[in-house]
This record gives sequence, structure tokens and C-alpha cells, in this order.
Amino acid sequence: MEYLKILKNNNVIYSGTRQHKFTQQSTADFSIRFVFSGNENYSIGRRNLSIYPDSFLILNKGTSFSSAVDCAQPVQSFSISFDEKFMDEFRNCRMMKDSKLLKSALGNKQEMEFSETIYPFTGDIFFNIRHLKNHLDSGVQDEALINQYLNHCLISYFKIYNEEICQKAERLNFLNRSTKIEILRRLNLAKEYLYTNYNRSISLDELADYSCLSVNHLLRTFKQAFRLTPHQFLVQLRLQRAQVLLRNTDYPVNEVVNLIGFECPSSFIRLFREHFQTTPLKYRQSA
Amino acid sequence: MDMTIKYIPVFTEDVEKQLGFFTDKLGLEVSGTKSVLFGQECTFIKTDNPDVFIALFKQQNNTKSAPIIISTDDCLNDYHSLKLAGVNFYNEPQYTPIGLGAEFLDPFGNRYLLIEERSYC
Repeated sequence: MEYLKILKNNNVIYSGTRQHKFTQQSTADFSIRFVFSGNENYSIGRRNLSIYPDSFLILNKGTSFSSAVDCAQPVQSFSISFDEKFMDEFRNCRMMKDSKLLKSALGNKQEMEFSETIYPFTGDIFFNIRHLKNHLDSGVQDEALINQYLNHCLISYFKIYNEEICQKAERLNFLNRSTKIEILRRLNLAKEYLYTNYNRSISLDELADYSCLSVNHLLRTFKQAFRLTPHQFLVQLRLQRAQVLLRNTDYPVNEVVNLIGFECPSSFIRLFREHFQTTPLKYRQSA
Repeated sequence: MDMTIKYIPVFTEDVEKQLGFFTDKLGLEVSGTKSVLFGQECTFIKTDNPDVFIALFKQQNNTKSAPIIISTDDCLNDYHSLKLAGVNFYNEPQYTPIGLGAEFLDPFGNRYLLIEERSYC
């Protein structure tokens, strides 16, 4: 099913399932991009990143990008573009109701501009988007209801922004706020590199190179911000994606091990059991 | 709209004494403590019906009548439908540690809490 819904207030929602697609465009408005199956690859400047069902990407107004889908399995893409006026009204309304959340996210910025990176698709934004998509898939036309969900998508995005950007920047041991923000921007490059290349071997040197940090600096600041080393972060991500494969496919465990970038099935099983207190096979049976 | 009563609220001035009544006298079992009703801590007690719990709250000075707690699978949708039907809500849906909730009144001032529990882990 594919649809492009343009609301009266110029918010735009796209949903579509494709195996192959290539688009090149500039975002007219602030947009949030998801996939519900498979993965979609984005190029923003020199950065290449992929979003999976456990993550989402935001793009600011005016960003040039290309996106590509090239997958053996159909990829369900879902995106929302928020009209500038809707964003302004949201900001003005929320500044009064929940000033702490918005002020910490926006500071004194007049423009709504956010870190263009990959965020975890968990918590309230996951539930709000899933409800919205279900309503749209079933043909709901009530724009007041749809806008209610869009409003709550922004509320829950701000919550994630606060956790992923503001709180992580605060954890960095630098006095200067602009230094904290710049280091976190580079750490987010490392994070999106891990999100995108999780299924292959990644050396610390290439990760440090991609994020424009020295290896030592990367290791120290990554741990401060994410409370995990890059290696621990990668293992956690791989295990999380193994869960998705075990739940949604019939691939044998050995193949899942290969697909998520582990080399040794026995270490995968041991780590899976340590993290989730169950074996991969038992997890699959109970899912 | 799929709304079911899931929690029966009980307010008490002495939570420990009230818990003792439920567990020692009535033989009920404590299910766990969670935060519900916009930050006010409560203790859940199991009943014979596995889908219905007693929610035990500490009586606050400003506590009005006990609300009827209704479980929903989509709070925003029900909030929107009920608003259209003319139901009077205290406030917009709010995020709580266990999910999204909104409180409304009937024409006689009885309180209802609509709650969509969300599994965040």
C-alpha cells in the first residue's frame, strides 16, 4: 500500500513499500523518517547512513539528501514532514505548557533546528507512530485526529532529543557548552556509523577517523556520553537486531549470527543469554 | 473504542494498615508498586480476575473522589472520540511512567482516568 497524504495545514505523510527506489531531494520542511521493515540508505553530504526498524532519522528544513532502497525483501518506509507554521504553533504552545523540556532542547534558538542523526525508535514515539500508521492504513480521514497524533509525535520526539542530545552532552567532561555540543556531534557520527555498519567488522581506527576524533578521545568521550564503550554499544545493537531477525524470519541461528556481524555462534549465544536471560532458540519460540 | 475497567482505586490514610487488611484478612496478594495517576505512587493488588487489580493510593489532602480507571489500547483516539462526543476532560493526555493517560468527568462530577499502558522495555 502506498499513499501520500497532504493535510490542510500542509503537513505531509508518506507511506510506501518498495524493494528498489532512489530519490534525490531537499527537505522542504522538518521531517522524520522511519522504516517498518528492511532498511533504507540515506546520503547527506558525505555521510552515508541506514535506518532500520529500531531507529529513525530526522532531517532539518532545506537539507539536501538522497535515499535508496535496494533490498531482497520489501521495505516499508514511513515519513512525516511538518509544516513550518505547525512547528511554530507547537513550539509556542509547548513553551508555555512544558517549558523545561523545550528550553533544554532548543536553548534560545529561534529556528527549530535539530541534530540530523539517527535516534532510537523506542518509547512513546514508537507507540504514537504505530497508532498513527494503523489509522492511516485503515483509511482514517479525520485530520483533527491525525494532527493530534502528529502533535504527540513532536512531544515524544522532544523527549528523545532531550535524552539523546541534551542529557548526553551534559555528561561530557568539558566546561564549555559549545565544546560539549561539538564533541557530541562527532560522537553521533560514530554512533550512526555503528548503526549503519553493524553487520561487518569495524576497527576503532576507522570509527575514530569517521567521527573526526583520535582513538583515545573517542573511547573516553563515547563512554562518558553513552555509558558504554563503542564495542559494548555495537554488541548491544547487534543483539537487538538479532532479536528482530529471530522474531520475524525463519533464518537458522547460524545465519542470524552472520547477518548481524558476529563471527562465532557460541559467543553470540553466550552474549544473547547474558543480555536477555534466554537462549536465541527459546526467544524465537516465545516470540 | 475498546475500554475496559482494569483498576479499582482505593484511597487510604495508612497504606501499610490497608495492605495488611487486604493480604492478612482477605488473603489477597500484592502484585507490585508502580507509579500511576500522574506521579502518585500506588500498590497493585491481585484479584480473582487476572485482568482487574485493586490500586491502593495514599490519601492526599487534595484527593477528591476516587476515579474509575479505564484501560484503553489507544488513548489519543479515545480522547479524540470522547471530546467530539462532548465529554469534559480535565486536561490533554499526559505521559506517565506507565503510559499515556487522560482524566475526564461525567455530568455528575464523577472522575474517570483513561489509561493506555505502554511497555517501555
